Amino acid sequence: MPQSIVAADRITKRFAGHTAVDALSLTVPPGVIYGLLGPNGAGKSTTIRMILNIYAPDSGTVRLFGEAGTGRDHSGRIGYLPEERGLYPKMRVLDVLLFLAELKGVDRRSARPKALDWLARMGLSDWRMRKVNELSKGMQQKVQFISTILHEPDLLVMDEAFSGLDPVNSQVLKDTVLELRARGKTILFSTHIMEQAEKVCDHVCIIARGKKLVDGTLADIKRTHGGKHVLVNFDGARGDADRIFADRRHVAKADVSGQFAELELAAQGDAQEVLKALVTSGARLSRFELAEPSLNKIFIDLVGPDAATASARPDAEVARA
Amino acid sequence: MRKVLAVIRREFVERVRQRWFWVMAALGPVFFGALFILPTLMMGKTSVKRIVVVDGTTSSFGARLAVRLDSEPLFVAARIAAGPGTIDSLRGAVDRKEIDGFLIVSDVAVDSGKVMYRASNVSSPVTIGSLEHVISEMVNATRLEREGVNPTLVERARIKVDLDSKKVSGGKETGENAAQSFSLAYFMGIILYMAILLYGINVMSSVLEEKTTKIVEVLVSSLRPFQLLLGKVIGVGAVSIFQFLIWGVSTRLIISQRRHLPGGGGMGDAGGFFQVPHVSASTAIVFLAYFLGGFLLYSAMFAAVGSMSSNEQEARQAQQPVVMLLVASFISMFAMLNDPGSTLSVSLSMIPFSAPIAMPVRWAAGNLPLYEVAISLGILTVSILGVTWVASRIYRVGILMTGKRPNIKELVRWVRAS
Repeated sequence: MPQSIVAADRITKRFAGHTAVDALSLTVPPGVIYGLLGPNGAGKSTTIRMILNIYAPDSGTVRLFGEAGTGRDHSGRIGYLPEERGLYPKMRVLDVLLFLAELKGVDRRSARPKALDWLARMGLSDWRMRKVNELSKGMQQKVQFISTILHEPDLLVMDEAFSGLDPVNSQVLKDTVLELRARGKTILFSTHIMEQAEKVCDHVCIIARGKKLVDGTLADIKRTHGGKHVLVNFDGARGDADRIFADRRHVAKADVSGQFAELELAAQGDAQEVLKALVTSGARLSRFELAEPSLNKIFIDLVGPDAATASARPDAEVARA
Repeated sequence: MRKVLAVIRREFVERVRQRWFWVMAALGPVFFGALFILPTLMMGKTSVKRIVVVDGTTSSFGARLAVRLDSEPLFVAARIAAGPGTIDSLRGAVDRKEIDGFLIVSDVAVDSGKVMYRASNVSSPVTIGSLEHVISEMVNATRLEREGVNPTLVERARIKVDLDSKKVSGGKETGENAAQSFSLAYFMGIILYMAILLYGINVMSSVLEEKTTKIVEVLVSSLRPFQLLLGKVIGVGAVSIFQFLIWGVSTRLIISQRRHLPGGGGMGDAGGFFQVPHVSASTAIVFLAYFLGGFLLYSAMFAAVGSMSSNEQEARQAQQPVVMLLVASFISMFAMLNDPGSTLSVSLSMIPFSAPIAMPVRWAAGNLPLYEVAISLGILTVSILGVTWVASRIYRVGILMTGKRPNIKELVRWVRAS
């Protein structure tokens, strides 16, 4: 087993006008679910495309499975679900799956039973001879997902994995991803939705404006970047909460949304004092919990104003020599 | 290579499964049959013309001409003596379609050969040809008699010439006569133009489909863009060859049965303009070689156009320059048919963009030195390599690009990008 499934070393990609990915290095160990996180326009798609050799990096190298060769050379061991989904609308479902499996080096005869098997699992058996454009959007997503894992890849790469999925498919995808990891496969996916990443990722790499901000295991990152955190849920009355949260002796930062608040305590802050003050001021609480910071919180702290000024999509522009 | 085969297979199978392929397969022979039969039918249907001979002669020439014309199967003729107002009333008769036309003969006819014909339709080569033939015969005979030649002798000297023309090729006479050569060239020009356009645009829509459905990103993560393009072009090319095979076999069947078709046989002289040509093996080879050359050249350009557009409308605009190249070559075919050996024709058959239509047309129309074909094929091959190189570089960048269509400057940059 190689030490890393993906090892990107200072990869850089410039498009006319700006640098989409700037000397980014990341290492995906085997058998993990790895989240590539960042705001829109951070360079996630471009990074993934460089890993897969859809774009060649302007500089830097990508090593896959600890072996020589580009992503295209290893494409038989990689499954790829791009951000923008699509299949041949006029082809029959089964034919699309067989064709895409062929491109991954699986011959039609051995791909066929696997495809039928997966279609049955996803409840699409009756649709196998129908044309893709006769299927609902959700069904098409399932078909496309089957096409990315039909050849049993060692590495599954998904760009904005959960975007555009309905809740049912989202759950199917998550279950399948966890099952793949249990079978020792490696999953690399990008998203800008932190809640999803937090639920499934072992490792994360947060990037913004093409540069890496932090990477490591989720637990490590929470340890290093979290202060003491408190989660508060109000049950109607908020008392004098706003004033208490603004008290910098105890609370360094407060992220309030309606009936919920996530507090980062000041270095000398005491959670008990905060609780006492809240209750005294007449606030009714349904939850007061000492916690690790959420990934979302870490993300916003790290990315800061970058998130608000995300640059335009890099693929809308033209590659430069 | 297995991946390229998969692409070829997909392009072929998906196209042949489509209804339009079989509609084309069925309509092709009907259409090509119509190309031959319609003009023949239209000429064959030259109905009997009602003609009045306005006789202004002082001899019996006018009367005899009317009788002679009336004896021809093509005409019903009557004589009227010239008088004031005759011409005007006859014009009215032509307008009211009571008669088809009228001839005005005077003594000048015999002296200088000048006769006037006024009719509602003067473009039918068959009618005009017959009229000229009959009148000149009569004039000649009258002039000879006037010089004292015995009328019986004149009658005996009359003979109808049947010009039997055969094309000479490679030092040998071929079975093709002039009319057949003409229609073969005409036919090949049309079919080449249509096939290159049709299947070139097929490649373009295939490229565009993969781009607009975004599936291209999955594809190019598995195989190189050039492999994808190669598979696509070969796959669509194979469909076109398959289509030709179907057309060839079915047309052959139709031709072998044509005596039983309405209007197919017994058209006599009128059918002589368009005849089903004899296609020799060498002609078939030249045709196929130039079809493949033209298809490769144009489909590469069409693929580039498809890759740089992001929807149908954009593609339709961007394809204009490529289509115009092809249309210009097609139109110039008609100039070439008149004189296949002219400088213009030779140049057109050397320029790679027009050669795929021009060279086969010249080949079919007249005898052609082999070395010219060799040079033209050489230029075409080199051009295909060059154009494909440029097109595949545009394709490589274009398929992954979204947003507005690139301008020339950007295209140049794409081609240069390593």
